[in-house]
Amino acid sequence: MAVETEYVIETKDLVKIYKTGKVKAVDGLNLRIKKGEIYALIGANGSGKTTSLNMISGALFPTSGEIKVFGYEVPKSRRLITNYIGVAPQDYSIYEDMSLEENVRFFSLIYGMSKTEFEPRFVELLKILRLEEKRKTQVKNLSGGMKRRTSIACSLIHSPKIVFFDEATVGVDPILRTFFWEYFRSLKNEGVTLVITSHVMDEAERADRIGLMRAGKLIAEGSPEELKRKHDASTIEEIFIKLSEGEIIDD
Amino acid sequence: MIKKKKDEFKSKNLNFSMKRTLAIAFKTINQLRRDRRTIALLSVVPIVVMLIFGLAFTGEVKNVPILVDNQDNLYTHPFPPIALHLGPNITDTLLNDTSVDVSFGDYFNGIDAVEKGDYYAAVYIPANFSEQVVKMLTGDNETVKMFVYIDATKPTIRASILGAIHDALDSALGEKGIKVVQILAHDRAEFTGLDVGIPSVIAFVIIFLLLIVGLITIVREKIQGTQDRLYSTPLRSSERLLGYVIGILLIAFLMIALVLIFGVFVFGAKVQGNVFLLIFAALLFGIAHVFMAVFLSNFAQNELQAIQFAPLTALPSMALGGMLVPIVSLPAWLQPVSYVVPLTYGINLFEGIMLKGWGFKELWLDFTVVAGMCLLFFVLAVLTVRSRMRD
Repeated sequence: MAVETEYVIETKDLVKIYKTGKVKAVDGLNLRIKKGEIYALIGANGSGKTTSLNMISGALFPTSGEIKVFGYEVPKSRRLITNYIGVAPQDYSIYEDMSLEENVRFFSLIYGMSKTEFEPRFVELLKILRLEEKRKTQVKNLSGGMKRRTSIACSLIHSPKIVFFDEATVGVDPILRTFFWEYFRSLKNEGVTLVITSHVMDEAERADRIGLMRAGKLIAEGSPEELKRKHDASTIEEIFIKLSEGEIIDD
Repeated sequence: MIKKKKDEFKSKNLNFSMKRTLAIAFKTINQLRRDRRTIALLSVVPIVVMLIFGLAFTGEVKNVPILVDNQDNLYTHPFPPIALHLGPNITDTLLNDTSVDVSFGDYFNGIDAVEKGDYYAAVYIPANFSEQVVKMLTGDNETVKMFVYIDATKPTIRASILGAIHDALDSALGEKGIKVVQILAHDRAEFTGLDVGIPSVIAFVIIFLLLIVGLITIVREKIQGTQDRLYSTPLRSSERLLGYVIGILLIAFLMIALVLIFGVFVFGAKVQGNVFLLIFAALLFGIAHVFMAVFLSNFAQNELQAIQFAPLTALPSMALGGMLVPIVSLPAWLQPVSYVVPLTYGINLFEGIMLKGWGFKELWLDFTVVAGMCLLFFVLAVLTVRSRMRD
């Protein structure tokens, strides 16, 4: 019996033109992401990574094209699928004037979790993210790395099946970054699909598969080894430069 | 192709949830509670505004300096025998009138003093004043004159001086002459300047503060990026909007209670009508403005822009909503504009309930308009959220 490949995210000819500015932020994106995969969406600032994530997670309506998440059409079924996805945006997007616990509890309520569901999951996340001592601390008094972890805790509280980490490892110290990747692996082992964006090319080496984005389009896709072999390059950055043919696109 | 596994994806969190709505509401209250500046704004501003508007801008004029030159002589009429000396009666009444502060002196010096701004009026009672009055009563004379040299630059002061003189003449003549008998409407109630001022202050405070607090709450959510984050959760727009409204209204409820308690118990303002109807009206009016704030927040990118909306809305409202000038006194072409200014209906409601003792029967139209405003701004707010996602 053939092994059935299960795609949890599929986009077809996805286009987003913002009304203001008339820029094609995403220009015919075709993505297929498998269950339990760590997929890195790599590209410079303004290449359309965040816009793509926002459309897939149902926060932004596409101009044209199709999106399917777990086989459900988005944005049509966005409210259903949002129960199974978690998003940690690029800017921390948490409430500065509330404590770490109040932030995470707030998001748990938004996901319809009860107190008895919240408590064990929260304690578990605090331990994993090494935030146990900061439970009652106001977010504005946390360091950048801790805010990032708080944001991640908010996106994981409801045990989602897909998580989107937008530039989660950017500006994070190397020890924490290693820790993040270890944690991403453990999530993967639990069957969670991870989509991670970054504008740091070499970051992507640790992903299962990479999608290189440029000007709203996917210019290359594959596992790091596959891509390097195919383009005869030693780093992802080299591939990116080769494919861009030296052309500079200003954001 | 992806195979749907229906059993794995339960259709949870799809319907409107009060739990999520309350989560937003409590979060909003928590945040407002911790914001010292906003708390100060919410508690101090209503009282300061009430003091300023209630005491200073009520149209009540006090202690206006005037100069009186009384030359009137006692007149004794031979037949029929009448003896009359009105001058001292007039000056005595004026001296007891708190709206004017009387000095005595020469009329022509008084004119100079009015021109220089030392007095607002110089009053001249001629030597034959009492004689002329008697002759008018006997039919030998048709008109009686006294003279007032008056500063017309302040219409309210001018009206108040003339009113004081009218009252003085009225009391000096006693039972003689023409009487205007006033019968006070609305249960014969007399109102102080503060009584009259408080209803519009309540309406104004609700508009001004709820717009600011509403705008700040929502614009902060936008700046922090949490608004976009909430778009990728099961939270509905209607839950989010209602949550804000409930949260802000609970705070507003305390604020309105503060205004009412302060106004009624400290300043002794009258409430002729039903207190519960008053609270209901205040809440309905508040809800309309929180929805309006949610809608307006679409046009503000940061807190500064949000705060700029408040004077932009408040100042025209004051001018056109009947707070400073009664709507009937506005130019005819401007009056229709008053009927789209929300403050108009707020003042109608609060004045109707507090001063006139009206109930729902008399105020149904104003209630309907305010309820309509709630619906309109709710729909606009939801629509603009949807269009934001389609941007």
